[in-house]
Amino acid sequence: MTSPGDAAPVKPPPSFSPGVARASSTSRYSTHASQRRDSVQSLDSNHVDPSVGPSPPPLSATTELPIRSASPYARSLRSSTPQLNRSSLASPDGGRFEGAEDVRSLIIRAFSPVVGVYASVDTDDLVHQKGFPGGFWGLIRPFGEDVPGKIVIRDSVGSSRGWEDYGVRFVDLGGQARYPPDATPGQPPPLTQIDEALTKDLEAAENPLARTLRPKDLAGASTISPLYKDFLHQLLSIPSATPHETFRHPVASVIAISSRNTSPLETLRQLYADTTNGDRRLPEWIHPEYLRYYVLVHDEDRDDIAESTKLYDQMKRHFGLHCHLLRLRSNQCVVTDDDSVEVPECEWVSPAERLSGSAEPLVDLDTDGRLYLFESDVMAIKAFVRELVAQSVIPFMENRVAVWNDQVASRRRGISGRFMSMSRRWAGFGSSSRSSLTGSAGGVSGNYDGARGFYRPDVPEAVLRKMADFAFMLRDWKLAASTYELIRSDYANDKAWKYHAGVHEMCAISLLLNPVSMPAKTKLGDIDQMLDTACYSYHTRCSDVPNALRCLTLAVELLKSRGGLATESAARWAMRAMDLGLVGSIGQVLLSERISACYASRPPLPGVRWGARYRKAGMWSVLAADLWLQLGQPSLASACLEEAEHLYASVLDRNEGVFPMPEMQAFVDNLRHTIQVEYLEARGLNTQESLDAVPPMDTQETSEKLDKRQHRRSLVVNPLESGIQDLADNEGHPDDDFERA
Amino acid sequence: MSYYFTILSPTDAPLFNIAFGTSKSGGDGIARFRFPDTAQYMNQFIIHSSLDIVEEAQWMNGNMYLKHIDTYPPAAAFISAFLAPSGARFLLLHQPPQLPTAGSAAAASTGVGAAAGSGSVSGSSGASSLLGSSFAATASSSRTSSSSIAANPTSPQTEEAVRQFMNEVYENYVKTVMSPFYRQGMEIRSPVFRTRVTAAGKKWL
Repeated sequence: MTSPGDAAPVKPPPSFSPGVARASSTSRYSTHASQRRDSVQSLDSNHVDPSVGPSPPPLSATTELPIRSASPYARSLRSSTPQLNRSSLASPDGGRFEGAEDVRSLIIRAFSPVVGVYASVDTDDLVHQKGFPGGFWGLIRPFGEDVPGKIVIRDSVGSSRGWEDYGVRFVDLGGQARYPPDATPGQPPPLTQIDEALTKDLEAAENPLARTLRPKDLAGASTISPLYKDFLHQLLSIPSATPHETFRHPVASVIAISSRNTSPLETLRQLYADTTNGDRRLPEWIHPEYLRYYVLVHDEDRDDIAESTKLYDQMKRHFGLHCHLLRLRSNQCVVTDDDSVEVPECEWVSPAERLSGSAEPLVDLDTDGRLYLFESDVMAIKAFVRELVAQSVIPFMENRVAVWNDQVASRRRGISGRFMSMSRRWAGFGSSSRSSLTGSAGGVSGNYDGARGFYRPDVPEAVLRKMADFAFMLRDWKLAASTYELIRSDYANDKAWKYHAGVHEMCAISLLLNPVSMPAKTKLGDIDQMLDTACYSYHTRCSDVPNALRCLTLAVELLKSRGGLATESAARWAMRAMDLGLVGSIGQVLLSERISACYASRPPLPGVRWGARYRKAGMWSVLAADLWLQLGQPSLASACLEEAEHLYASVLDRNEGVFPMPEMQAFVDNLRHTIQVEYLEARGLNTQESLDAVPPMDTQETSEKLDKRQHRRSLVVNPLESGIQDLADNEGHPDDDFERA
Repeated sequence: MSYYFTILSPTDAPLFNIAFGTSKSGGDGIARFRFPDTAQYMNQFIIHSSLDIVEEAQWMNGNMYLKHIDTYPPAAAFISAFLAPSGARFLLLHQPPQLPTAGSAAAASTGVGAAAGSGSVSGSSGASSLLGSSFAATASSSRTSSSSIAANPTSPQTEEAVRQFMNEVYENYVKTVMSPFYRQGMEIRSPVFRTRVTAAGKKWL
């Protein structure tokens, strides 16, 4: 929301200010265009960089708020600004503007295909020489996350769609650690790591020297708070290749050799054999038939291109079309080189890597922790990744989906599926005709290995799951949802609870991601049911906390982005996550803020004043402020409180900005006071000094308000409020007075 | 069960407040909320936040008694509402006692079992709303399973008991506000009214 500093330049002349307030609140219902303008305006004012303008004293944020201000003149002037923002929150587009697309894209990108990287020793040597400690995998990893250009994907009904933000994730198959990474006993569970990483972020935000996140950025409901985004990001980055879902199973594997290799073809064969049945074999539950992609890394600085081209032609003859010649220079690039380009940072870093990685810059100070590449190398790698994804990985996945859809899924879809081959995506009657086709009598198929807890990768249940996951990663959510739907009951029959939870989770999520079907109320009920089942199976049956949390957070975000009725549902799921104790202390606060945002994004019903959830949103913001304060983050708490007061502004309008309930008012006043005190203490300033720092006008305003408030309280309107004064004065017995009265 | 009953004027100003506990099944009539004593403001926050729902619900049906309208899951607080024709709103927050084992996470998830434990009730918790069912289950405690009201805040029995309570309070409220010394919007200080409400609470809740 706007801080007073941002709002100051657009302060209307005082004589008009009541009119402005009213006009903006009516414009909410009048024309669409004015809504747009309002929201745009408020967005603009949000994006004003506080470091550019005269930086507002953060303290004044809490002191001059609508609730506190006593003189009617000051109040109306204040309330005009919140009103503007309110309309942007409440407008139907509000949900879209709130970084909803951003979150959606984040969630979609989190489920990117995984490509394994297995490089020969000589290739890794070459890359080490370039200064990359991570070997070939470390070199190409950052480039996989954002494939340049549009990737066109064809879905099951044959229509194509281009995606700008497609990406793949490279994982190391040849490194010291086996893929998938086992949970080593020494390491804390991933959620603890997330908590630690968040604490680090907060500390970094506190520290004025290494300030990456400014408190100004952390707050604000109109955009998603970076800290929460970070939390979501890390939650989705937990490297968990498990049998029950195939998102982290490699879709393809890059096998790389370099031009230094003396016996290239034999090495390639050896590498292939290693990953197929050698010591680098993937666990049994991963489908062994994934795409192999052969790469020849040519050393531009030392080797002859003619030789390499010859070898490359030979490779193509032997291994088919999935080959690439990558031309890299083997010299190390430093900043001072002419055409040096900084290597982008990896976006999807697991919490563990993040924790260990943040120590690195201290080790090698000379390179600043950053790596550089020649521009030609960057171009070559980008071209390679694009070709790999666009010409090999995507067609391979499309092909697999089509084949499995034909061979496995359509048969499961019953007799209707055969006749209506046009409507593949349509899933009905699955359960009725299923058992005869899988050749199993009764409910239990017998394909589930209960002792070891997984399906073999070639049984129909596993293949269907893999097909649905492929469709999901290809962003064909409709097919994915219908396929998940198809196998939902199978897992329950087999008592494969983790599979069961996963399939319910993904079914709900793909239904929510599917942009076409806007769920009606009944459909929302279905989704709620699925989420409930998923959450119960994950949490209670499997005690898989990270996945339960992932399921709930995704549900919250996607339901919230749906807007309307769904936001309330979103808030309920967030509460459920808090209630189950899935998150740590910081997570609790972040979720509280999120609940507030969910309620705030629910617009009032058209044409009437009621139907919004500003009181609820306000309450959760106040609670979040309280929690931040308990965590020793007064600046964040102040931002939350400010947000709460903006939210309450419209509700408390008729009560002149005072809470009708005395205990609430007392609590909020106390909270505000404590935040101020702690904020000053945290800044290491004494009160006098900070008051000097505040521009004189604000200081005057503040003190004036305090005085007048005392008067108004004791003299005006509500007889109950005399009780407030007593409460504020003697805190020892909070409610006796009021009760007797 | 602990109860927090409040009467709000049409402008949301509280006219009357009382906190009491159940007197059924050996209860001593003293409220024991789940919040620590320093956090009693939470009751008011929850009541206040549920006004959003009241405002919506009052236009959706023609009854004076709106039944259970809102839930605050983290504290398992349930809100029932009653509308007076003058625009005054009666809000009752009821909160089941905390389970002896404070592990709320485990308790919530084993909800099915807990609800079955209080089987002497109607067992209608399954029919209640999405979160209602699980959180209601958190609420049900084996100690109070003999009393239908305490065990399950969303059961028809509870709704009925609350309705009786609301009606009785409404009757007394009408008598009180018709007093010539009462002006509209004033806080209700009558000790007689307070004792009557307490008696109604004892009788029905």
